[in-house]
Amino acid sequence: MTKMRWKKLGKIFDPTRHQLPAGCVEYAQSPQALVFDDFIRIYFSTRSVDTNGKYLSHIAFVDMDKTMDRIVRVSDRPVIELGKLGCFDEHGIFPMNVIRHEGKIYGYSCGWNRRVAVSVDTAIGLTVSDDDGLSFKRIGDGPVLSASLGEPCLVGDGFVRFINGTFHMWYIFGTGWKVYSSETAPDRTYKIGHATSQDGINWQKEEARQIIADRLGPDESQALPTVIEIEGRHHMFFCYRQSSDFRTNKSRGYQIGHACSDDLINWSRDDVELAIEGTSGEWDSDMLCYPHVFESDGAIYLLYNGNHFGRYGFGAAILERTA
Amino acid sequence: MFKWQKLGKVFTPQDVTDRPWLKEFAQAPATLIFDDFVRVYFSCRPPADESGQYVSHSAYIDVDRADLFKVRHISERPVLELGSLGEFDQFGTYPISVARDGDIVRAYYAGWTRCESVPFNVGIGLALSTDEGRTFVKAGRGPVLPYSPDEPFVLSGPKIRRFNNTWYLFYIAGSKWKMADGRAEPVYKIRLATSEDGIRWTKLNRNLINSIVEDDEAQASPDVIFAGGKYHMFFCYRYSTNYRGKEKGYRIGYASSVDLINWHRDDSKAGLTVSDTGWDDEMVSYPHVFEIDGKTYMAYLGNQVGRNGFGLAILDGKLGDV
Repeated sequence: MTKMRWKKLGKIFDPTRHQLPAGCVEYAQSPQALVFDDFIRIYFSTRSVDTNGKYLSHIAFVDMDKTMDRIVRVSDRPVIELGKLGCFDEHGIFPMNVIRHEGKIYGYSCGWNRRVAVSVDTAIGLTVSDDDGLSFKRIGDGPVLSASLGEPCLVGDGFVRFINGTFHMWYIFGTGWKVYSSETAPDRTYKIGHATSQDGINWQKEEARQIIADRLGPDESQALPTVIEIEGRHHMFFCYRQSSDFRTNKSRGYQIGHACSDDLINWSRDDVELAIEGTSGEWDSDMLCYPHVFESDGAIYLLYNGNHFGRYGFGAAILERTA
Repeated sequence: MFKWQKLGKVFTPQDVTDRPWLKEFAQAPATLIFDDFVRVYFSCRPPADESGQYVSHSAYIDVDRADLFKVRHISERPVLELGSLGEFDQFGTYPISVARDGDIVRAYYAGWTRCESVPFNVGIGLALSTDEGRTFVKAGRGPVLPYSPDEPFVLSGPKIRRFNNTWYLFYIAGSKWKMADGRAEPVYKIRLATSEDGIRWTKLNRNLINSIVEDDEAQASPDVIFAGGKYHMFFCYRYSTNYRGKEKGYRIGYASSVDLINWHRDDSKAGLTVSDTGWDDEMVSYPHVFEIDGKTYMAYLGNQVGRNGFGLAILDGKLGDV
């Protein structure tokens, strides 16, 4: 197929230039779009600082006009409060994927809770909005998708689409933690998996089947799958990196990958086809991560974070179709 | 009311001196019956680490079938490895429940990890034995029973049973953590899931029995046995806070059911409570009832939830009589 050509629109939201809710001042990570008739609501994860100095991630949104040139509104409070004491989402929600279903909006949250031997574990919860996505309520204190026999930790990053009467979720699961060096905390590795559901609540995993082949070997971490149908084929975008020494070492940090499928089961990875890379000297020069694809008025957009994992915002690109 | 005659303590972990991982505690006894001996699984602990934190291991003793107070063998090592870094069972496997399935023995066990805002979380794992329950291999590195919207944390205390060609997993699920004197204490209730294959579970998603001493009553060890045309559940319960002494500590309760789903709780029938003096004069907990050679026994824990071992009681008559 024709190589995809993305036209970059640049950074479209900088969290440090806006008043953010819940005392957050930086980070606008993992943008996720909900398209309305005359604007686009983009949810993102922003961070406050907990009493012990650690971060708490909250979900806020920015409404933009449909050209994504102009900011219409920034939410003045998080759309969902964090989980209760001891719950899977007590210490943060990052990211939250939103879809419309039967007049409501479902928000699939990736909840974070801190551990002692390792920094964190995650699981995926379901929240529901009946006010056009201004606020969400969780369906219960626990998750809808969490660790299982073959997926021992770090189930997160759920991306859900309703296709031919079935809910599909692409998500990540941890394959384990490893100490790579005596000077660093343990690092995790995760891979992309798939589950289906009839009601969006009860899910059947493909249990530990890694659906996207590794490019960097077994120590590749894959994150934030996002799927869209373009001209009859399913396209998945995600980000990937080395599992260790990825935070400041550009050559090991996040880049955006791509795979495609005709049957939603078998995926063929081809990162080259995507052809979106960092621009030297720009906000995305060192890292591209947390992609989200969506369609609005016939155009296909890619939202993503750049350097520093989205500490200073997210940007967009538009697909130029030449087929 | 059931009439239990206490027979005394069967096993004292402090008497074992050559197994460093078996220093204290012999918690949550569960039996596997052989031709001439009874294998009793329990969970034990090495000494606490420098910060006062414990890990739990699961092990067994073999006692003579004709004399349950005669210990014939103590397992050489724990029957399960602790989980690897970041896994749900990195810091403990407690308790464990076993059942035969053809030539293999299934073990459902609770795995413990440590958390930052609350002291721990617990999940239920599955392991299989092909050597009559001497050693078990985990079916996976993660839990077999997932957390779910109504069961957010602390899935523990599994009791595996097979009735009518279906696997029944009785367990407890945490419903909230409450702060008491600066310490987070979990509230948990008895729950049920069923399965055809022992791997994919359907949760009932409700509490099996009501709470009596307070709304936040903690319930544990839902031990179910079929006798005399109905199902009998012995379990233990306590207050949610200040439960480490006699007044609000564990007691043994009882419920019965004809369909495994609807249970009628009547603790007045349980028939076994704290003694006036001795190893079980503050609390009694973690009952496990089993029948052998026409007799019915209850294994249970005494003070400090089994720190000094477990004991036995024998029933006058049969379970079906009450």
